[in-house]
Amino acid sequence: MNIDIKHVAKLARLRIEDEKLSKFENDMQAIVNMVENLPEIKEELVLDKDNAMVLRHDTAEIRKFTRDELLKNAPHIQAGCLVVPKTVE
Amino acid sequence: MNKDYEMVVGLEVHAELNTESKIYCSCKNAFGLEVNTQVCPICMGMPGTLPTLNEKVVDYAIKMGHALNCTINSVCKQDRKNYFYPDLPKAYQISQAEVPLCQNGHLDIMIDGEIRTIGVTRIHIEEDAGKLLHDEAFAGSLVDLNRCGVPLIEIVSEPDIRSSAEAKAYLDTIKSILQYIDISDCKMQEGSIRCDVNVSVHKKDEPFGTRCEMKNVNSFSAAVRGIEYEYSRQVALIEAGGTVVQETRRWDDVKGESITMRSKEDAQDYRYFPEPDLLTIVVDEEKIKAIKESLPELPNIKVMRYVKELGLTQIDATLITEALDKSKLFDDTVKLGKGSPKGIAKWILSDISKYINETGKDINSTPLTAKRLGEMVEIIEKGTISNAAGKTVFETILSDDKDPSVIIEEKSLAQNSDNDFLENIAKEVISNNEKSVTDYKNGKTNALGFLVGQCMKASKGKANPGMMKEIVEKYLAE
Amino acid sequence: MELYEKSAHELSEMLKNKKCSAVELTESVFKRISDVEEKVDAYLTICKDTALEEAKKVDEKLSIGEKLHPLAGIPIGIKDNISTKGIKTTCASKMLGEYVPPFDASVMNKIKSADMVITGKLNMDEFAMGSSTENSYFKTTKNPYDLSRIPGGSSGGSAAAVAAGEAVVSLGSDTGGSIRQPAAYCGVVGLKPTYGSVSRYGLVAFASSLDQIGPIGRNVTDVAMLQSVICGHDKMDATSKNIEYPDFTKSLSSNVKGLKIGIPKEYFGKGIDSSVKTSVMNAVKELENNGAVVKEISLPSTDYAINAYYILSSAEASSNLARFDGVKYGYRTENYNGLVDMYEKTRSEGFGDEVKRRIMLGTFVLSSGYYDAYYKKAKLLQKKISDEFNGAFSDVDIIATPTTPSAAFKIGENIGDPLKMYATDICTVTINIAGLPAVSLPCGKDNGMPVGMQFIANKFNEQTLLNAAFGYEQIVGGFNSVAAIK
Repeated sequence: MNIDIKHVAKLARLRIEDEKLSKFENDMQAIVNMVENLPEIKEELVLDKDNAMVLRHDTAEIRKFTRDELLKNAPHIQAGCLVVPKTVE
Repeated sequence: MNKDYEMVVGLEVHAELNTESKIYCSCKNAFGLEVNTQVCPICMGMPGTLPTLNEKVVDYAIKMGHALNCTINSVCKQDRKNYFYPDLPKAYQISQAEVPLCQNGHLDIMIDGEIRTIGVTRIHIEEDAGKLLHDEAFAGSLVDLNRCGVPLIEIVSEPDIRSSAEAKAYLDTIKSILQYIDISDCKMQEGSIRCDVNVSVHKKDEPFGTRCEMKNVNSFSAAVRGIEYEYSRQVALIEAGGTVVQETRRWDDVKGESITMRSKEDAQDYRYFPEPDLLTIVVDEEKIKAIKESLPELPNIKVMRYVKELGLTQIDATLITEALDKSKLFDDTVKLGKGSPKGIAKWILSDISKYINETGKDINSTPLTAKRLGEMVEIIEKGTISNAAGKTVFETILSDDKDPSVIIEEKSLAQNSDNDFLENIAKEVISNNEKSVTDYKNGKTNALGFLVGQCMKASKGKANPGMMKEIVEKYLAE
Repeated sequence: MELYEKSAHELSEMLKNKKCSAVELTESVFKRISDVEEKVDAYLTICKDTALEEAKKVDEKLSIGEKLHPLAGIPIGIKDNISTKGIKTTCASKMLGEYVPPFDASVMNKIKSADMVITGKLNMDEFAMGSSTENSYFKTTKNPYDLSRIPGGSSGGSAAAVAAGEAVVSLGSDTGGSIRQPAAYCGVVGLKPTYGSVSRYGLVAFASSLDQIGPIGRNVTDVAMLQSVICGHDKMDATSKNIEYPDFTKSLSSNVKGLKIGIPKEYFGKGIDSSVKTSVMNAVKELENNGAVVKEISLPSTDYAINAYYILSSAEASSNLARFDGVKYGYRTENYNGLVDMYEKTRSEGFGDEVKRRIMLGTFVLSSGYYDAYYKKAKLLQKKISDEFNGAFSDVDIIATPTTPSAAFKIGENIGDPLKMYATDICTVTINIAGLPAVSLPCGKDNGMPVGMQFIANKFNEQTLLNAAFGYEQIVGGFNSVAAIK
């Protein structure tokens, strides 16, 4: 199957530079051609009932981190919030 | 509405659950706190963090599933819904794709005295996203992640709704059930209950038309307005020879219109796949049964029972049902069999409601027990005491913690409904008040009131006023 | 022999018996680092001051007779995708070049409780995607046995540091071979534990259903000691298995009599260098001479495994790496016009080419219309591969294969050809797909470069695995000491 680089890049919020685009397209198509070589298996996927998840008890824990600690790595903050370009729904 | 076109509406309701902690971390599940103070590395989506599923969220979703007559999928999983947005830290929302926790249910709603059944396609569990804050003065947008990870259930209806009134009734019923089974506080102004609306139109006997989804519907009445607008917009479009395009639109309640948000081409490709950080959810059959048994009588069922079996009006039934304390008192009192349901309802909706509003007390923990209320209403309906005396009894039950019979005894409230006694008084008063009698016979109707008042005085307030008036009228007519 | 060259278990005894101090040991390791790091380039962050403080504390505790963990005072390097509170955790990426986590990974809590001394953060392929450490944004680590060759990847720094004596032991992570392959290329011992036995909380996720943190050391006992520290159930990781985990060193036995070794023909095919095949078969012969029983087995789905691996790991990676959007942490592009522009520029500038390829592949296989053809098929194959291994383990105790098709290649040799690079993983990816434990051991040399042999056991059978490895180690009289850096 063919991979539509432009469309996939858009979904992944990536941009490939023009000078790299040709090699990138070739590499990606070669990779896709390789991985799609899979045997046909006539089965359906079933959920693993034997390894059921143990759920967490509903208790709130006291805050272990201050806001400053959590936002310390943020590129741009203002008034305790993260700042992003204007985004209207 | 254009009589040629029918509307088809489907509703998606998101309700925040009132658990102690968030769905995938142990942060406190609370509203309205200082921005970005109710977060941790997990709900912030920091690298290396992992989700752990809150068991209460599963329990509450199953509870709602039972309330909406759903099949519970005791074995299911979570899936990732991938998209980029600043309020979604992980750039995916943990949700459920093809196998939801609950499916194939229905909801009976009462509308204009009739019962309508609306199908419920599914209920699934997922996490809420953060909030974007905007300000005209500010160039960018601000992100508050406090709401990330708040647990949500999404309730999806079948496209069975046929009018905006039905939509409102459906939404109101969903809300009352959520509050009744105490899994969500449903505070619309805090955003703990939201809905998306899907509308299509078609001519009678033709297949369903293309549907449009509408987001940013921030209240139930906005949903009604949005549905009506969308219906009109689509009908006008078709009548003008155009075609309705499948799209997502944004409802602007201030302007009263919807605008295109996303067309089908721009439609998000969510690339759902099973959440690898969580294992299979397996719920014990015993637990599912226990949750079902823990359900109280649901408000919509209650309303129908009050109307059909007890003769209450839909409005009164709804008012009583909406308040858990009032409906509890009502049900307990009616069960004891003393006093008519309508009479009991009347007291609850007037004096008792007033008392609750003024004192803020829980009526079921005051001296006004179901037994005493029933006795009081019965005594009044029998005519043993007057309505006015009834109010005294009511107040005294609350203040002195005594039974109605004791209070009536102590305060000599029993009114006299004895015919002879009343006739004697009437005769005496009439004979002592010739002028008033003459006035009345000459057309002065308020002379009657005076005479009846004199009778009441003469009986030291003990006369049954209704009967007294009838007897006086009878003598005056002679 | 210098302190930095000794094994962890020997140093543990020396510290206990006051034959040396923790500070002396730490200083010895840091002297070695200052001597060779310029050539090896294993470290991204060196933590000398804090390490000496930690060592000092250990000496204080020892001096008042406090009973400490056997690994107390032992210098350990940590792969840079494991979150370390207050220490940069870059994943060798520009995207996290300045990122300092406010919390420790769960394994770090265990490492700290054992009073180990943290030497620093080790180089790797960016976001653990790669087989040579050439995909690191910062620098390429060199193989201590030949500085013109790659150390392997993605835990290249972890393996090289141990091989070069720049750490006594280290932690790496393994998604498709990232501990075992560099361990093989660098002539050290590397263990990928059973999926679910070591907590992933704090490990920056590449492929959630395949990743595991694991120990690297110069001998089997050291690896067993470290594995015993890091394994265990963690309530912060829903995929971590809640069972009893033994102290693997307590019943470490070198007796290989009756040990049933399966040799799968699919792992000795034409893609494997003949010199590697010879080394591995010679090693297996040694075991046979000592009482082990060898049996030929077949794992038919092996040939497709690498395709399933790239589909599943890339799909999960594309989702796991979507959070790197320049909003909450990490790199953000400087000039942008609107949200989408910010996202695209940030991610395009912040990620290297291999990461971009994996994200693109993963996004593609999950995109509308392709799920059934790729992801679903890969998932079904995963089940088949697991079943085949399960079947094999009803007949044998361990399975032996080469770890890699060849010895370490030259720096720059494969970097322009992604498929050639992927092919170096053919012996290791199946193990991650099946969630099994596997260890790479040195089993010979090819033109002076180390060759590795891989042992695989059934789930949660690390004891069997480590015993077989220990048995082999005793037979050959021990593995490589610290490499002489030329």
